[in-house]
Amino acid sequence: MNTPAEPGGKGLNVREVTLSYGGAPIVREVSLDIPHRGFTMIIGPNGCGKSTLIKALARGLKPAGGRVLLHGRDLWTYRGKEAARHVALLPQTPVAPDGITVRDLVRRGRYPHHTLLRQWSPDDDTAIGFALDRTGLSDLADAQVNELSGGQRQRAWIAMVLAQQTNLLLLDEPTTFLDIAHQYELLELCRELHDEGKTIVAVLHDLNQAARFASHLVVMRRGQVVAEGPPAEVLTSGLVADVFGLACDIVPDPRTFTPMVVPHARFPASSSPGAA
Amino acid sequence: MTRTRAASPRGFVTIGRAVAIPVARVSVVVAIVTVVLIVAAAVATLSLGRLGVPVTDLPRALTGGADGAQAFVLGRLRGPRLVVAVGTGAALGLSGALFQTVTRNPLGSPDVIGLAAGAGAGAAVVALYLPGVLPVPVGALAGAAAAMALVYVSTGTGFRNPGRLIVAGIGVFSIATAFTQYVVYAVERDKAAVLTAYVNGSLAARSWSHAVTIWAVLLVVVPLVALIAGRLEIGEMGDELAGVLGAGPRSTWAWAVTLSIVLSAGAVSVAGPIAFIALTAPQIAKRVTGRPGPHLTPSALVGALLLVLADLAAQQSPLPVNLPVGIYTLALGGAYLGHLLIREWRKGRL
Repeated sequence: MNTPAEPGGKGLNVREVTLSYGGAPIVREVSLDIPHRGFTMIIGPNGCGKSTLIKALARGLKPAGGRVLLHGRDLWTYRGKEAARHVALLPQTPVAPDGITVRDLVRRGRYPHHTLLRQWSPDDDTAIGFALDRTGLSDLADAQVNELSGGQRQRAWIAMVLAQQTNLLLLDEPTTFLDIAHQYELLELCRELHDEGKTIVAVLHDLNQAARFASHLVVMRRGQVVAEGPPAEVLTSGLVADVFGLACDIVPDPRTFTPMVVPHARFPASSSPGAA
Repeated sequence: MTRTRAASPRGFVTIGRAVAIPVARVSVVVAIVTVVLIVAAAVATLSLGRLGVPVTDLPRALTGGADGAQAFVLGRLRGPRLVVAVGTGAALGLSGALFQTVTRNPLGSPDVIGLAAGAGAGAAVVALYLPGVLPVPVGALAGAAAAMALVYVSTGTGFRNPGRLIVAGIGVFSIATAFTQYVVYAVERDKAAVLTAYVNGSLAARSWSHAVTIWAVLLVVVPLVALIAGRLEIGEMGDELAGVLGAGPRSTWAWAVTLSIVLSAGAVSVAGPIAFIALTAPQIAKRVTGRPGPHLTPSALVGALLLVLADLAAQQSPLPVNLPVGIYTLALGGAYLGHLLIREWRKGRL
């Protein structure tokens, strides 16, 4: 139901892209292939350019140099709505208008499918119903978004981008304002969507969560990609020390056997003041 | 075939398969109620007072059967004034809704940030210094555009930061008002009524040519506003999301500001810078509909209702002097502005 024509079917490719907001470049000459049907997570320290890069992947920021290709074609040769039928991005801090209900918010995700005179089609009801159902919000469809809990509100936003019915789903720090249980709930939802065939790209801060859920990890530092590949290969103690300046051990996650970061204690337990 | 299709809080106006525009039912109800209230206020405007045409005579008088005195009241005194009031109120309400939507702040309103005052200054210059050289609306438009350019440049951050916008706007408002006062004093010494008309706004002695001006502006601008209404709705969710949804936030923003300036300039050129209709109408519309959205239609209707009511008060006031309508809106709207300033400041949005 969500497969627009895919000439070449190559998904997103980044070719020597430089990004800036008018001043010094935030991202410098980055090249990157987003694995088709993969679950890609972009990690890196604050200010490394990961949010800027994901914005450019969704036509939210025009590259100062280089190109972002969508299905082999420059993203900026697409019309805005046309691109938005292929790629959806949930920004870090979207604004829920005062008084909006969950259903109305999700409906706004249908905007790229509308024209000036046709602002509703029967497909809308199907897409909105699917998005609400998938995010477990069917019973809350008529509730006001600003009265929901943090976890429900973030699911409402996910539902909005799902209603866009794109193959590519981009999420900029989707777990930032959630407590830990809701973080995992949201990541599990992303994994299910990935299992159902969507290509997902997310910016994430938590390295252990990234390693656990990603099929492909992209590590950025100072506007450049410094490593990418499967989490088990990429996430090493050397890399974490190098990129984040954090001394750590990497041990297998006891549940999933994915790499898990255990930072070194600054004071060994035996010499801590409380132990005496 | 036009019909409405029910779907929980929304219906859809559909024409065949080609057109389907979603319309919230509550918005339709609000619109109908507001129109009824406007008609009631209009009937009161035409029929109250010493010169009023009795309600029972109105249907006959309005359909061409008016006698001499009634024809004069309807055709020359109150008729054009009422038609100007409805059009001007609608233009101000719509102008306010557009500007408040793009600035995402109730205080980002044309009358607060000096847009209307700038238009008033431009209108005063053209009407008093250069009579007959340029049409008054052109002067108002130039004044409004100059005032907005000045605000835009002096904030350093365009129209986005509400605190800076308001501070710069108050500065520009004062400059523009002082300038208007200078022009009026230089040309029309000792005429308080003329001064008030250009500084506060007035609907006294409006003619059908004023009515034609404001309704022509509405006729041109309203369809253009309809074209960007959908994109304004998406823009409410933030520029970033609007951009990736394909709603072109930058061009939407430029269009909304431009159309808002044209509407305000049109209103000011026929009635002077009447204060606080643009500020209050969208806020009232938002509260009575209780829905998200730019509230364009309800803001225009509420603006028309507010101005007709204010002018009714101005005409039927028991005060010994006939104050211009702008004084009434200034007094009531000023109190509301104070309330908003305190509320926004407490919320940390200033």
